[in-house]
Amino acid sequence: MHMKIAASVAMCALATMALVPSTHHSAGGTVAGKVTYTGTAPKMKQIDMAKEPSCAKQHATPVMNESVVAGEGNTLGDVVVYISAGGAPSAVPSTPVTFEQKGCQYLPHVLPMQAGQQLEIKNDDQTSHNIHPMSQVNPEWNKSQPPGAPPIQTTYAKPEFIPVKCNVHPWMHGYFAVLNTSHSTVSGSNGTYSLSGLPPGKYTVTAWQERFGTQSQEVTIAGSETAKLDFSLKATEY
Amino acid sequence: MSRVAYRIPSITASISFLLIAASAGVAQTIHGLPREGRGGDTKVNTRVGRPAAGKQEYTRYCAGCHGDHGDGVGENAQWIEPRPRDFTQAVFKCRSTLSGSLPTDQDLINTVRRGIVNSNMPQWRPLPDQMQADLVAYIKTFSPRWATEKAGTPVEIPPETPVTTESILAGRAMFQKFECWKCHGTAGRGDGPSASSLTDSKDQPIHPYDFTTGTRFKCGTTNADLYRIFMTGLDGTPMASFADNIKGDQGWDLVHYLRTLQPIRTPESILWKSWLATHASELKPIGPESGGR
Amino acid sequence: MSLTKFVHGMKWLPAFALAAGASLTAASSAAATDTRAADSTTATRAPAAGSQSVEDIYRAYRASIEDGTGAASASYATKRVKMIPAFARKYGLRCSACHTAWPELNSFGQQFRDNGYQIRNEKDSPIAQNNAYIPITVRVTPQFHVERATRQLVDATPGDAKSGQVERTLTSHGFDLSGMDLWTAGTLWKNVSFVALLSSDNFASFHFEAVSLRFDNMGDNPWLNLKVGKFELDNMISEKRFLFLSANGGSYQSYHFSAPGSSVDFGIGDNQLGAELSGHSLNSFTRYSAAILSSNDGDPGSNNFSSYDANVNFSQAFDAGKMGIERIGVYAYVGQRPTAFQTSDGQDIPGTGTTRKAFYRAGVAGDFFLHKLEFLPYYLHGNDNAYLASSTPSNSPLLDGARDASWNSGFLETHYYINQQLVLTQRVEAIRMSQQAFPDMPSTLGNVDAYSFGTRWYPFMFSRAGLAVHGEYALVKTVSPGQLPSEGATANIWTSSLLFALDFDF
Repeated sequence: MHMKIAASVAMCALATMALVPSTHHSAGGTVAGKVTYTGTAPKMKQIDMAKEPSCAKQHATPVMNESVVAGEGNTLGDVVVYISAGGAPSAVPSTPVTFEQKGCQYLPHVLPMQAGQQLEIKNDDQTSHNIHPMSQVNPEWNKSQPPGAPPIQTTYAKPEFIPVKCNVHPWMHGYFAVLNTSHSTVSGSNGTYSLSGLPPGKYTVTAWQERFGTQSQEVTIAGSETAKLDFSLKATEY
Repeated sequence: MSRVAYRIPSITASISFLLIAASAGVAQTIHGLPREGRGGDTKVNTRVGRPAAGKQEYTRYCAGCHGDHGDGVGENAQWIEPRPRDFTQAVFKCRSTLSGSLPTDQDLINTVRRGIVNSNMPQWRPLPDQMQADLVAYIKTFSPRWATEKAGTPVEIPPETPVTTESILAGRAMFQKFECWKCHGTAGRGDGPSASSLTDSKDQPIHPYDFTTGTRFKCGTTNADLYRIFMTGLDGTPMASFADNIKGDQGWDLVHYLRTLQPIRTPESILWKSWLATHASELKPIGPESGGR
Repeated sequence: MSLTKFVHGMKWLPAFALAAGASLTAASSAAATDTRAADSTTATRAPAAGSQSVEDIYRAYRASIEDGTGAASASYATKRVKMIPAFARKYGLRCSACHTAWPELNSFGQQFRDNGYQIRNEKDSPIAQNNAYIPITVRVTPQFHVERATRQLVDATPGDAKSGQVERTLTSHGFDLSGMDLWTAGTLWKNVSFVALLSSDNFASFHFEAVSLRFDNMGDNPWLNLKVGKFELDNMISEKRFLFLSANGGSYQSYHFSAPGSSVDFGIGDNQLGAELSGHSLNSFTRYSAAILSSNDGDPGSNNFSSYDANVNFSQAFDAGKMGIERIGVYAYVGQRPTAFQTSDGQDIPGTGTTRKAFYRAGVAGDFFLHKLEFLPYYLHGNDNAYLASSTPSNSPLLDGARDASWNSGFLETHYYINQQLVLTQRVEAIRMSQQAFPDMPSTLGNVDAYSFGTRWYPFMFSRAGLAVHGEYALVKTVSPGQLPSEGATANIWTSSLLFALDFDF
């Protein structure tokens, strides 16, 4: 059962990676590796969607809280890995990123984007959601999105990790990772990640997890090689 | 005789005025420093808000709850629920502008004057207009957003449509469709299935508005105020904006229905009652579709 | 009868009486001058059956000065004031939100009070408060003070009653306590508010200073509020909430003055028993009140309630932009007092007063802000009917020449608010008799000039409790009957107080 969830999460992560524009980084080096954690990861609780039957019936298997996506061998999924310093400033991708509400869950759970990049929010459910990104640096807003409503189009101007929630369905939570760079990705359920298309140069690579915080490492890219960079975050109970 | 009596006051008066002059100088150096450059201009009608003057009045009237630094953690904040507004976030419930945008100066003045029902925010009506403008000017120095952003454009509220049974019924359908009942309850009592889990943006528990007990809304009392509330949303709270989904006259339908939930006699409730007397059986109940899971 | 003869006839008066009674020993005078004590003298001051001589009237006037109920008396024990941290605790507001400098109210505090101690946010009813919340407040003022009085009759050789009498200035000083206020006030329910203020003298002997129940916003209309009980008159400039505490400065002379020889026991600054209808605009800029009051000067339990007085007040405030709020008001108090009673064995039977005669007080008041400077001007015209003024029963003929007594009085008080924690105060006050009850009375007799200045510093300002470090000097000149053959018909008596106090309130 747990495997199935992990698989679905992995698929989500893959979907996300596909959405993150990386095509214009056709050439250059790659940083890749695995994100793990040390210590004991908190147990995720099962979500009870009984209050929203239209969503509950979409899930054949129990839905777990996604705050910590821990895999076998202490791997950690849903970690945002991005270039926090170094290299030339990246242009804002012209393609939008999409945040989907489906089965009263956010797909993906964590959505990286560059500041200024178009963000599209969809509701695929048969219930009204309200999207409430609780930003501190960027203006905070809160909009309702009934079934069948057109996608909400917006942008964030300043880098910030923004928790997103739906007040009507208190179990729904996710993150917008608004970054200064287009070089970002999210680790899969097996903890692996890959950042490609990096021009030669010295970079600071940062991994961010909503509960376990951040870790940064330096790496130098000379050409088209793949530099291996693993992260190990310290698990905190809360 | 009386001449002697009056001379003494005049001598002491001049002494006390010397004291006054001296202390005024002291006061100037302590309190005269405005937060440089921040906040932008504040103008309400003809009154121009003065942040430096507002600071003194803020300390007098506001700081006990909102804190000396405007961060919503004055010495009383811990005892107050809902918690006082944190001005450093520049997120305000009562606006005429769209969700996520800054309110207008007039919006802030209106809140100061109106107070916020079911909270500890009093109605500051007795304060002079100039002082209210000064306070608003000072409140705007707590967040840098005021220096870089302009206030949003007020939402347009079309002229109110006639109160008719059809309008109330349409509003009732919206109450169902937009799932207002999930928080506000099927009868507007603020007891919907999601009500108990609601928290504001500071993770403090917050209660949905109960239409059946109050006569005032959080941001006003009129039909237009009610229209504005669901169009703009109450930022910082779970109350979302419906501006993307409710357009023009449609909003009045919802207003007319919500008015029937209130404990007061309104044109809407009178009409609705008489209609219900003969048609109640035709209504499908508000709430989750039958069958559930 | 000549006045000189009358004045010389007064020489027998106990030498130290004035000093002891009026202000020198505040400790004992406080007890003697609280409202009950004052009212207990009413019987003796009320006119007895049969005619009186001018000499009698003068003697009674002297006596009133001696026992501290006359014009020159000033006792802060009865002027305990109203500042209620219980409300600050309930609503989480700092003292400064409702008070310019506590206990004086600002425009917001005025509105709060007018609303029946409610902020009208639907959380005013006690059911919306924590169970543990009880609105109770205690205020006491430990102090050091110096009291001084000129022209006090003393034996020329102390201990030798036969050494003849001379006038000397007497001074006393020391540490002391004020009385104590034990307050509870608040709401019983939405739009039903109450006050119960037990006030003690400095021996902790309590009396009901104020007890009232008020129905607020009747019909959801701020213009209709009804209060019943014992309460302060709706004086625009409240003496209960003012910033002076000393024996000589701690009351408005204008609020407690009686014409020399008059039998009227009324003081506009005394709390009265009755019912008050009042109302206000939403911001309390416009205010009115109309009260009907028992004619016993607020003395609960007294039988002396055979008639009613009326008091009306109206005030209007204006928003003067950067200057602040300016308010101006008018008021009138019209009352009656009996001049004769049924008697038993020649003794008056209380509550049987008949042949009532009228008195009135009327005038204007202002409250003007010039930014941080506040001016409180006040004017009062007082008039006592000839029978009251001359203490003559109206079933007897008036003495020759007896007529209404009337006077004008007023003050100008100034506050300078350096900030919400420091205020400087001063007040100049004058009372001028315009017509004595008898043409041959000295025209200046009874006149008062008073001056006070002080400062209050509030070392901390939050919403749980209050402390004020209080300094004050007050000087009063009273034109009294001459006491020695060497003096003329009148003599000026100067009394003064210097006070340093710690005024705390929880």
